[in-house]
Amino acid sequence: MKTKARLLHRLLTLGVLALAPLRISAQTADTPKGVTVNGYGRTKVGVLLNNGDYFISENTLNLRMNYTAGPTDFYANPVLYEQNGVVQPPVLREIYLDYHEELFDLRVGKQQIIWGKGDGVFITDLISTKDLSQFLVPDFEEIRRAVTAVKFDLYQGYSSLELVWVPWFTPTISPDPSSIWAPSISFSVKPTINPPTTPKFNLGNSEYFAKYSYLGESFDVSLMGGWLWNDTPAFTVISKTFSPPAGLTELTVQPEYYQTYVVGYAASATAGPLILRSEGAYYGVKRYHADLMLFPTGYAEKPAIQYLVGADYSIAGITMGMQFIQNVILKYDSALLEDRFKNTLTLVVSRTFFRDTVKAEFFSYVGLNDYDALIKPKITWTPADGLELFTGMYIFLGDSGDFGQYHDNNGLYLGAKLSF
Amino acid sequence: MNRLKRIGVLISSILLLGTPLVFADPSGAEIMQAVYDRPQGQDMSGTLVMTLTDARGGTRVRDIKQILGRFGSVDKKLMVFQSPADVRGTAFMNWSYKEEGKSDEQWIYLPALKRVKRISSEGRGDYFMGSDFTYDDLGNRHPSEDNHRLIRSETVNGEDCWVVESVPKDPKYMYSKTITWVSKQKMVGVRREYYDQKGKHLKDLTIERVEQISGFWIITKTEMKNVQKNTKTVMEFSNVRIDTGLREDLFSERTLTRGL
Repeated sequence: MKTKARLLHRLLTLGVLALAPLRISAQTADTPKGVTVNGYGRTKVGVLLNNGDYFISENTLNLRMNYTAGPTDFYANPVLYEQNGVVQPPVLREIYLDYHEELFDLRVGKQQIIWGKGDGVFITDLISTKDLSQFLVPDFEEIRRAVTAVKFDLYQGYSSLELVWVPWFTPTISPDPSSIWAPSISFSVKPTINPPTTPKFNLGNSEYFAKYSYLGESFDVSLMGGWLWNDTPAFTVISKTFSPPAGLTELTVQPEYYQTYVVGYAASATAGPLILRSEGAYYGVKRYHADLMLFPTGYAEKPAIQYLVGADYSIAGITMGMQFIQNVILKYDSALLEDRFKNTLTLVVSRTFFRDTVKAEFFSYVGLNDYDALIKPKITWTPADGLELFTGMYIFLGDSGDFGQYHDNNGLYLGAKLSF
Repeated sequence: MNRLKRIGVLISSILLLGTPLVFADPSGAEIMQAVYDRPQGQDMSGTLVMTLTDARGGTRVRDIKQILGRFGSVDKKLMVFQSPADVRGTAFMNWSYKEEGKSDEQWIYLPALKRVKRISSEGRGDYFMGSDFTYDDLGNRHPSEDNHRLIRSETVNGEDCWVVESVPKDPKYMYSKTITWVSKQKMVGVRREYYDQKGKHLKDLTIERVEQISGFWIITKTEMKNVQKNTKTVMEFSNVRIDTGLREDLFSERTLTRGL
């Protein structure tokens, strides 16, 4: 596997090097040349409201380096973190090479690829995996992980076709089991969790995506399809012990990633004062926890649909947006531990004050099945260009559900960010 | 001579002869229509530096690259912020339709989110990037949205001007009226006063520089002063290039994400 990985790495590197010296027709006299470096330094501290413990204490240096030479751009985004007083190993959040022609772009390397039109949801946004080690608390920019991929965009007028090949599997990072963000597990006993089995490296285990997009008068639309790995592992029961009358007394599970296909769409349109949005996807297979007595593996595979409808509105400097999101399990079985329908609302309100130097934002998820919520208010003050001082909260409401399970994790944070 | 012909002659006189008009004053509506129809080329590109000054004299500078094109009945504009650092790479695209009653369409690209988002264009009265210009001040307001009246003629900085009062037909519009000084020779507004909904003097727009570029009169420096808040914004255009043949498909998602 390592030999194949090395071979593919070399092939991609050779491809990048071969593209670099190509001449272009699209280059203009205005094309910038040379290296640019920008980024930001940020310090951020957060405390849990229930016990005063620090749950965020980090200093970040985020560098964005760009080198342009003719039709090619090289981009690298190294990030240095110091968390809780410990300097973390440097992270290359993104590093890729772009080649631009008049009709197409080619990007090779580690990159974030963002699809879809929904806010705060990942319905067709399935290529870049996520870092959920702190649930949905960090900014979305930091939740998304880059994947090593080859991306090809072909343009014709206002239409484009995007093809993506992801040869390396990159999993979503789940919270550590000892973390305050570890999700509740739907088994009646605390299971022993084996290390996850990751896909072997070969062509058959690559991910493939395609998207057609149109942006134009009155509406924008995109149609997508993909053959992919479910980035968050499903737990497969590999051993269990029933001891009457206590019932289940021992359980060992194996986290497994699995492949599936997805087809979906995303659309937005202007309708008078409103911006209407919708996004949906059909997932060929999803694994859901099920009654162990009926499903010995602990899960059942079902097709599923997820979609959203939403609207944005602006008035008197206030921007508001609302989305309704529904997950539907098809071919539902009553042995499943999840509801057939799962409904969520998102609400966002933002407004700027004092000539855009103060911005107030409010983002919330509301779970309609468990009547729980995550509310994220934030205020940012920009006393000088490039300098931001900010404070915000994470408030979890409810006792159970995706958000209510973290009701002990309500937090307050503040920080400063200097962009350069 | 009907009114349309008079406007045609008026524009032709300016373009071909570059001399002041010699016949009777046109109406306020004809003047504002002629300003609206003033030839400005099919496309334009350049750099915009916006300097915001607050009431205490503190300044902030925004540096923007922009392109603009006219394609049939649609005006398309794309702006990419170069500075300050916290908004670098943010891009904004507007498609404005000449068709009466049809709303503009707008998109924004935020580099942190790596996504192009269609946004509402209804906030025409909102201030653009914290400046003293509203989105509507920056747009090409159609003369049919106001009732115009020629008040008088007078000289401003050596320019012989018509003074036109414009009262919006929509009583809920953010301004109760505007008064515009229009250069008779260049057919360009050189000064404008804005009055708030209570009829109080709110803002002064001064055209500080008009240049002839590629045969067109182009406003390259303006100042908007809010006389109630004592703030001002200066917009200065440089590297202006006209009619370079910008393709319509340049005003696209691809350019929003890649920048100019």
